[in-house]
Amino acid sequence: MIRVHAAGHNGAREQPEVIGAAQVRSHPVPPRIEARGVSKSFGSLDALAPLDLSVAEGETVTLLGPSGCGKTTLLRMIAGLEQPTSGDIVVNGMSPDEARRLKQIGFVPQSPALLPWRTVESNARLLLDINRRASPTTPSASVDDLLDEVGLGDFLDAYPHELSGGMQQRVGLVRAFAIDAPILLMDEPFAALDEMTRTDMRHLLGRLCEPLGTTVLFVTHSIPEATFLSDRVAVMSPRPGSITEDITIDLPRPRRPELEDTQQFFHTTTRLRAALSTGMRR
Amino acid sequence: MSPSVRRVVAPLVGIIGFGLMWEAAVGVFDIRRFVLLPPSKIVSELAEAPGFYWSNMVITGQHMAIGLSISMAVAIVVGALMASSRFIEEATQPVLILILVTPWVAYITSVVLWLDGGTPTIVFMVAFTSFPVFTFGVVGGMKSADPAARELLASVDARPWEVFWRLRLPASLPSIFTTLRFALGLGLAAAYFSEGSALTRDGLGAIGRTASASNQAETLWATIASAAVLGVVGLIVISLLERSLLEWHASQRS
Repeated sequence: MIRVHAAGHNGAREQPEVIGAAQVRSHPVPPRIEARGVSKSFGSLDALAPLDLSVAEGETVTLLGPSGCGKTTLLRMIAGLEQPTSGDIVVNGMSPDEARRLKQIGFVPQSPALLPWRTVESNARLLLDINRRASPTTPSASVDDLLDEVGLGDFLDAYPHELSGGMQQRVGLVRAFAIDAPILLMDEPFAALDEMTRTDMRHLLGRLCEPLGTTVLFVTHSIPEATFLSDRVAVMSPRPGSITEDITIDLPRPRRPELEDTQQFFHTTTRLRAALSTGMRR
Repeated sequence: MSPSVRRVVAPLVGIIGFGLMWEAAVGVFDIRRFVLLPPSKIVSELAEAPGFYWSNMVITGQHMAIGLSISMAVAIVVGALMASSRFIEEATQPVLILILVTPWVAYITSVVLWLDGGTPTIVFMVAFTSFPVFTFGVVGGMKSADPAARELLASVDARPWEVFWRLRLPASLPSIFTTLRFALGLGLAAAYFSEGSALTRDGLGAIGRTASASNQAETLWATIASAAVLGVVGLIVISLLERSLLEWHASQRS
């Protein structure tokens, strides 16, 4: 079967059209995220060399690179939380600040950042409650349904301290999905989790993202995570970070956990590891 | 002994033991009654005119509660501004330190002259003396709000009041309650002393001052005991409020 993600209106969520037997994603223009000649310096420290990055609608792109190479800085600039030193960033046809104002970005930080005084349900609803004018009037899925989907239906009234790390991060995912943003920016959301939970979480994220056709920019150190989730992986070199290779992951979709046991998955991770090593030497 | 019984019995044993030692010390060392009145005499004085001491305790309690409430409200506004702007924080900090370290007993006469004595003077002194402590507590609490949560709110363009209301204020509650305990003692001392200096005839401080001037040790010590009871009641109220508002906080979990 072939999934085709038709270009749509800003903020609208579209279902992929199923038209055949092979499973491939197409990447229509214009891109949802475009960075041109973007660089970042902190005083005399060059964090990011001028780079270009483009993410098409419905595409999942991962930034993979060593610690301190500027992955998070790039993500924060795209989210409008940091200003680039040079270059332009366009998010969903507008500036990052405008995209923030219109709640076009679902941001998932490294820590779950749950508010300890709010229950699970209330935390998941947090971004809907903020800047309400830009919230969807009829979200495509209710928060309770989303929590149910990630296995937290029985924990709606629980407080964050009553949850495990994995459960907390699932609330963080629901919180980002709840606002129906066409773009998700994820900053190593599973970095603090143990390996087993981390594996479960990437499978869950894949399951949540695929049917929605959300555009995802994902930051990680984990090669299996990048392989399983991505359509493309932008491999970055150490500071000042730049994109040394842009690798297409041509694994079939929808991706199921069993995929990780295949030869094809293994070859892809090997290829990414080699690209990462090459990037490190630059 | 079960933990619940122990929690009641142990403090009672401590208080009764302390009272007995106090009573014995006054007898053994023949301490002058103005310096230290035995607890038995204080209790009989309170028992002789419970209504009198109760009504004045209520007045002092009101002075303290109004003053602390005003102080906390202003501190939350000032603290929020300080937490949101480095410039405002750095400009305000020296003023707060100045208020904090200046002995308020030294300028209370000026305040009496300015406000013409009475309740406004007492409330002002309670609020003014506790204001810096509250503000530092609020700023500390607000700045401790999770940076990742602040960034998360920024990612959807949260307005400053939304950040204040949804994040900074709840995050500062544990710190506010800790400060409130300290400010309670400060406010009670300010209320007691100001009542004695503010040309008023009501309140424990006013009675205590009159008693000192007219050599009535029993009355003086009864006002001191009433003020202590007031402080304990205040702490209990704070603890109950804290328990209901901060059930999510680690400090309230066993």
